[in-house]
Amino acid sequence: MNLKNISIALTVLVFGLVIMLFMQKGNYVNQGREHYEKTTANSFKGNSMVLDLVNNGIEMNKQTWAVACGALQTVKNTQDMAKLEAKFFPMTKGSNSIANKTRRFEASSANVIVSYFGKVEENKTTGVKSLADLQSVDVSVLLGKVAPAAETEESADEGEE
Amino acid sequence: MDTKKLKILVVVDVVILVALFVLLKSLQGGYMEQAKRTANEQETAYLEKNTQVLVEQWRSIDQYGMAWKLVHTVLSGAKSEAAFGPALAAIEADKDARFKQISHIYTGVGINDKVQNGIFEKAGLAQGSILLKNEKNSKEISCGKGCVVKFDYAKGKLKNVDYSALVQYDLSKTLKIEKPGEYHFE
Repeated sequence: MNLKNISIALTVLVFGLVIMLFMQKGNYVNQGREHYEKTTANSFKGNSMVLDLVNNGIEMNKQTWAVACGALQTVKNTQDMAKLEAKFFPMTKGSNSIANKTRRFEASSANVIVSYFGKVEENKTTGVKSLADLQSVDVSVLLGKVAPAAETEESADEGEE
Repeated sequence: MDTKKLKILVVVDVVILVALFVLLKSLQGGYMEQAKRTANEQETAYLEKNTQVLVEQWRSIDQYGMAWKLVHTVLSGAKSEAAFGPALAAIEADKDARFKQISHIYTGVGINDKVQNGIFEKAGLAQGSILLKNEKNSKEISCGKGCVVKFDYAKGKLKNVDYSALVQYDLSKTLKIEKPGEYHFE
């Protein structure tokens, strides 16, 4: 009787081991898959984020450059500049510094240009001063230099358009 | 069942058990090794392919940055045809400035120095010149993937700069990071 029990137990063990034999491959496949999926998902997420962030950053950067280069081609005074800025950035206005004869346009802290003008003009009817005779457009910020050469000291955009 | 048959069954069971155990252990090592190897191989292949997109983006933005800088330089005063070559050469040669200009865009969108340096280590800067065409009265430069800027001259003076491709620049159309494929154990 005792021998019979032992033989039954051993036979059950044999079947158990056979089942384990077939199952163990599946376990390792799952482990490999889990590791692969975790690693590649992290990479996909991280790199996609970098790709998208930079592409989005380029959107604003290229429009700021377009304002700077467009200004060199078409802008004569700050009124023209304001129109050009509004074409690319309807929600953002530049600000004049009459004292420095500059106009600063800041689409974002990373996208800033400063236009230099040669003359201050005054509307005799309204008394509003504006700048004319565009000399140059400073793109130091777009080039990654710390800050543009001139900062505005006052905002005098009112009454331009 | 008589005792003799039971004894034979027990012996056979024990032999099979030992054989199965040995087989189990030997396969276990093999499967473990195979799982590690295949996962690592497929992960490395995906990461390389994936990172290559960021490398292309970085180099493309280098060309984009140089192109804008050249357009700005030309429009700011270097308007003679003779000034074009030296202006381009100066921009291409200033590698620190090129890096700063790319890095500025990445920093501006919140990508830290560590990530930037990781991409830069693999990408470096765009290789070769961006000059595509250098004929009398007509020059063309590459401004990144699928982007060309054209400079037209007449009698040695600038006639027109067509940088519309730069204004429409959109890398999201050409660069994509693909989702990882299925894992294969084989």
